Amino acid sequence: MRGGRMILEKFSLEGKVAIVTGGGTGLGKAICHAFARAGADIVTAARRPEPINETAAEVRKIGRRAIAIPTDVTDSRQVDHLMESAIREFNTVDILVNNAGIARGIEPSPWDPTPILPGPIWELDDDKWRNAIDINLTGTFYCCRAIAKYMIERRSGKVINMSSVGGIRGPKGWFTYSSAKAGVIMLTKTLAVTWARENIQVNCIAPGFLKIWEGKASGLPERNPDFIPMGRFGEAKDIGPLAVYLASEASDYVTGECFVLDGIASAGYAPTGYAPIFPLEGS
Amino acid sequence: MILEEFKLEGNVAILAGCGHSWLKDLGLALAQAGAAVVSAGPEQRQIESGIGEIRKLGRKAMAIQTDLTSSREIQKMMDDTLSQFGRIDILVNHLNLEFGKPFLEVTEGEWKRVIDTNLTAVFLCSQAVGKHMVAQKAGKIVSIVSGGAERGLPNGTAYCASMGGVVQLTRALALEWARTNVRINAVGVGWMENSFAGKKDDSVAHYIPMRRRARPEDIAPLMIFLASNASSYLSGQVYFADGGLMARA
Repeated sequence: MRGGRMILEKFSLEGKVAIVTGGGTGLGKAICHAFARAGADIVTAARRPEPINETAAEVRKIGRRAIAIPTDVTDSRQVDHLMESAIREFNTVDILVNNAGIARGIEPSPWDPTPILPGPIWELDDDKWRNAIDINLTGTFYCCRAIAKYMIERRSGKVINMSSVGGIRGPKGWFTYSSAKAGVIMLTKTLAVTWARENIQVNCIAPGFLKIWEGKASGLPERNPDFIPMGRFGEAKDIGPLAVYLASEASDYVTGECFVLDGIASAGYAPTGYAPIFPLEGS
Repeated sequence: MILEEFKLEGNVAILAGCGHSWLKDLGLALAQAGAAVVSAGPEQRQIESGIGEIRKLGRKAMAIQTDLTSSREIQKMMDDTLSQFGRIDILVNHLNLEFGKPFLEVTEGEWKRVIDTNLTAVFLCSQAVGKHMVAQKAGKIVSIVSGGAERGLPNGTAYCASMGGVVQLTRALALEWARTNVRINAVGVGWMENSFAGKKDDSVAHYIPMRRRARPEDIAPLMIFLASNASSYLSGQVYFADGGLMARA
């Protein structure tokens, strides 16, 4: 292998600093843990301070530095403040994970008891539409915009955006969520192509059904994972290593790609388990 | 710090390759990640090229000359691997016979040779090795494909059809074996260095957003990721490591 270094070292995040939005719960928290185990220091951001303070404490327990900065990603001034604070605190930002917003709209959360549930399109008023686009797409745009000049000047950076299988296949009734998540994929591709020569890689992860929400308030009935081809929901251990790969030197030639993580839920065109046996005639 | 999930310690990998493929570099990458490597293919010099270096790393390695379009020879290669190493955990297919010719001039023989080398070999290897993996209730298959698997190329009908076939085999087999703990994925390479004798012509490199063709070290980590426990919820996927090629307008 040219370059001399052993291949596994490329997967290390030693000495890197990562900002993870939505880092207090679910996917974001799992990513913070995996990054810290891979050697990165963490800036975790979300609206409510308690969960991100908890994540930061957990990261410190792993042995890495961490700060929590309460941020509403739909407010661009707060996003600018987040980036400035992160750079000031750690002198560098190498990785940005735009994960905030994923919970809202797909399931209720303790801090958002009135999620945007699927329903007839005429019940989706202007505010609900704008609100969901703001959280799931505009927040990602604000964060990318706020870090852009910094990463371009350094000619180095990794951006990971959180999309969803709902942004690739149409989930019945989730108009805003799917539109926003599809927008995240195209924002990813456009940024990737635009920054390809600046040595900034931009990729996205499109999770399917991941079961890492620890809140008791989820309120949704327990679902049987039998409808997923692999027969199980994704877990924290499934998202962490993928995010580490995309944040590390191991993916330096990978940009503009969407990494579907769904237990094969979106690869087929028939119900799970439909596997016709249909011999050729005459054989 | 390197997450344990990426390591291939204790794994035995078969690397099947032919044509313009990176057997030496991919074999070395698998070995660096901890695997024992069997390099299999029809071209003796190609399959033997990395063996010495792998052994220098302290890993086991073996080259087995195999016609990958012959189920009988593949079975023998399997038997030799099992008798030497006792198990098979990973199969990497890098079949890449390059061929470009105007469609109206493509002969039946040329069509068959391209399809056999690039696609039928993946079918035969996946069937033979997969049978063992299903019985052992664990395994990872990673096929390396070109951008021609997803996009068209003038004069590339046979080549693109063969590559696209590998992707569809990947998706269908992944679904069929979704609950067997045998995972099947593909790595898309954009334009390989030197592919289609392209070194003199830099128009292709210019077309790639990152402005350079792919080198083995660009795709090797993605292969390691898909061959390791780090990707245990991933199957039936095709991910490109291509310098932004598939993303560009």
